[in-house]
Amino acid sequence: MAHRIVGQPIGRLDGVEKVSGAARYSADVTLPGLIWGKALRSPLPHARIVRIDTAEARAVPGVMAVLSARDLPDVLVGRRMFDMPLLARDRVRFIGEKVAVVAAADPDVAEEALALIYVEYEDLPAVFDAAAAIEPGAPLVHDNPGAYEGAPAERPHANVQSVLCFKLGDVEAGFREADRIFEHTFRTQLAHHGYIEPHAGVVAIDGDGRVQVWASNKMPYRLKELLSHALQLPKERIRVNLTPIGGDFGGKGSLMDLPLAYHLARVTGRPVKMVMRYTEELMAGNPRHPSVITLRTGVTKAGRIVARRVRALFNAGAYAAFKPVPHVNLGGAGMGAGVYRIPNLLIESLCVYTHSIPCGHARSPGEPQMVFAGESHMDMIAKDLGLDPIEFRKRNLLTEGDHLPTGHHLEHVRAKETLDAALEASGWTTPKPAGVGRGVAMTHRHIGVGFTNARVRLETKGTVTLVIGLPDTGTGAHLVLRQIVAEVLGLSIDEVQIELATTDIFETDSGVGGSRVTHTGGRAAYHAAEQLKEQIRVEAGKLGTPGASFAVIAQAAARDGRTLEASHFYDAKAHAAVTSFTAQVAEVAVDSQTGQVTVRRFTTAHDVGTVINPIGHQGQIEGGLVQGLGFALSEELGTEDGRVSTLSLGDFKLPTIADIPPLTTVLLEDPVGPGPFRAKAIGEGSISAVAPAVANAVADACGVRILDLPITAEKVYFALAVSKKERSS
Amino acid sequence: MTRAIRLTVNGTAHDVEVPTYRTLLDCLRCDLGLTGSKEGCGVGVCGACTVLLDGKMISSCIALAVFADGHEVTTVEGLAEDERLHPVQQAFMDAGGFQCGICTPGQVVAAKALLDANPSPSDTEIREWMLGNLCRCTGYYKIIESIRAAAAQPSRP
Repeated sequence: MAHRIVGQPIGRLDGVEKVSGAARYSADVTLPGLIWGKALRSPLPHARIVRIDTAEARAVPGVMAVLSARDLPDVLVGRRMFDMPLLARDRVRFIGEKVAVVAAADPDVAEEALALIYVEYEDLPAVFDAAAAIEPGAPLVHDNPGAYEGAPAERPHANVQSVLCFKLGDVEAGFREADRIFEHTFRTQLAHHGYIEPHAGVVAIDGDGRVQVWASNKMPYRLKELLSHALQLPKERIRVNLTPIGGDFGGKGSLMDLPLAYHLARVTGRPVKMVMRYTEELMAGNPRHPSVITLRTGVTKAGRIVARRVRALFNAGAYAAFKPVPHVNLGGAGMGAGVYRIPNLLIESLCVYTHSIPCGHARSPGEPQMVFAGESHMDMIAKDLGLDPIEFRKRNLLTEGDHLPTGHHLEHVRAKETLDAALEASGWTTPKPAGVGRGVAMTHRHIGVGFTNARVRLETKGTVTLVIGLPDTGTGAHLVLRQIVAEVLGLSIDEVQIELATTDIFETDSGVGGSRVTHTGGRAAYHAAEQLKEQIRVEAGKLGTPGASFAVIAQAAARDGRTLEASHFYDAKAHAAVTSFTAQVAEVAVDSQTGQVTVRRFTTAHDVGTVINPIGHQGQIEGGLVQGLGFALSEELGTEDGRVSTLSLGDFKLPTIADIPPLTTVLLEDPVGPGPFRAKAIGEGSISAVAPAVANAVADACGVRILDLPITAEKVYFALAVSKKERSS
Repeated sequence: MTRAIRLTVNGTAHDVEVPTYRTLLDCLRCDLGLTGSKEGCGVGVCGACTVLLDGKMISSCIALAVFADGHEVTTVEGLAEDERLHPVQQAFMDAGGFQCGICTPGQVVAAKALLDANPSPSDTEIREWMLGNLCRCTGYYKIIESIRAAAAQPSRP
């Protein structure tokens, strides 16, 4: 079906504020009497706090409050598992953990005062490596994690946060059917999301005791619940005001400094702003979990996979508080099966406590790690079997009616078509110069679920206002929602406005994340608009003028004291039977003298639903893909004994504008998604297969296989040196 | 220690008394209320704080306010003329040159400076000039497209 507004490449009409500097992000919020909060962080990974002396800091002119744990209620915070204190109490568990907080009218004064807080520590033994942490006798990060609210009941070791398993068939029986068994181990790095806006928030307590919050948080309604828990206040006392968010990528769903800002506001009687320095982001944000992943795969002579066992160890750091899902693990572990039919499968994913920076969710949590391992493993097996990597994949690809490791049944499976499209567009079979290689990798991503409230209101001027509690993290979600409403009601895009609902307006909303917004927000807006359309039809009938304009209809209703509006609560609990496949081809050149990898060309093919806004859709693909390239080649939070050593954004090497390769995108549009107008999701589709495509291309170019990310020139150089030595001996 | 300085920001003169350690970015944001320029990395790497000092790009997060005493500062708030967006700003909206928008004030200021210096840059020149402005959302493709589109405008203010 042809659409009028849906599918149109409409630019970011909501962007005037953003391109002109008028947009007010959380860090830009100013209120009369506003003061600043700054946090003192632990310099030690594991230590007992013997004493905190704040006298000198309090004496600094301009300092209005200094708080340590003893000044605060003894509550633990988190998103699902509540294991993190507001400020370290008795002991610190990672370098960067907050131990005290200062408020002053001037942020520089607050920072100066931090240096005058004296903390006496007594070192305790620490453990930084996930494998070492689950050895018998390892230092315990928490004495009794099972006692924490939201903690999984059982764990094989006190340093295990959670275990997530996926099982299909009988894996031991499967291995007995195999002619060959391959086992490889891969490692991925600790990586920050790289949003340019550090966490920021403002908390003000009104005269009537209401707590007003402005925060760089993508789930305002969940934030209200979490704050209610953390501050021990009824939900009704808290209002979260929506602000633009300066990048999220999974990282902006936690409380961060907001409870501390509240307590500073409470004791000073002033609104308090806290903005993390980027250094604090890098040492104590909620980065992507580093991993060690071992895959063991049994294959028949015919090249069919009959069994796979996957064990993933994720170094989760000192707290589980940042993980938002009930299993307190990473759903991406399920990608251990990749895009393949594996009848006998066992995946075991362990998130392990260590005395390191606590990790959280990052764009397609767990998947870039698992897909790097899985798709590198596929090429390594194919090579050993003497099979073409494409042919090996095709013999095992998911097809119609197959099941995912979650037990989920799949329809409209287009894995093969997506792979073929990528190969064709990439010139897979064309000749390559020496030192140039091509690699392919695949993945798939579900369409997110959740719940959203939407309200549409007909204004007397004939325009429509969509009231929604979803912030726009940058994806252009608000524009997509306007397009949907405009399409349903036959309006132009300019005739639909967005009104952001503070958390007073609706009862609940699952917020942004997990590839859900176009689906859940879109369906809520769609159904509300359909209802309003029906109301308008009925009103027009009452007026006796079927062709009456929206303005005339709204004005007639207004004369009776009525506003025409409709609301819809959309709640998608279960994943749809469709998914979105991605196939990517990297073409790289490897400098044999230096090991430097240059991506010469990149091809990305996606099996997508109806595209609602082609500019935004492509923007999601490009943005995710370049994040994938950073993950593949350059980004890494270095650590030394639990200390993050890359404490500037210059050291954590995000890709720059000079690093991006020529890109070809292929969309296989198949309107079968569960979203409005049969849309699917795209936000997390392009990131996960990039690193293995690059790794496979590097292997093709120069014969060396890099098993740990990122693929730096140094690693390739030494691998080349080793392979030369092996060849000559 | 504080010092009285005079900054001309987007054509308007401001007399302010600032501590000598105050960065130009904090002065713009906190003392003058111009919050368009953003602090990202805080160490002169990401470019979100890019402003023009006498027409030249600088990272205002690592420049002291006193350093700008007596000079002309152009921020993102000063790019539009008479409510009309600068072609660079319009192009970033039309072509998807921003997503979250946090790096955008720095991007559009840098892009304006580029087009002032080089009205028809090649892609390579765009990449070289914009190297100091990180963006995490777009993957840069549409930033290049936006700058190309702005450069192709027949006349620019």
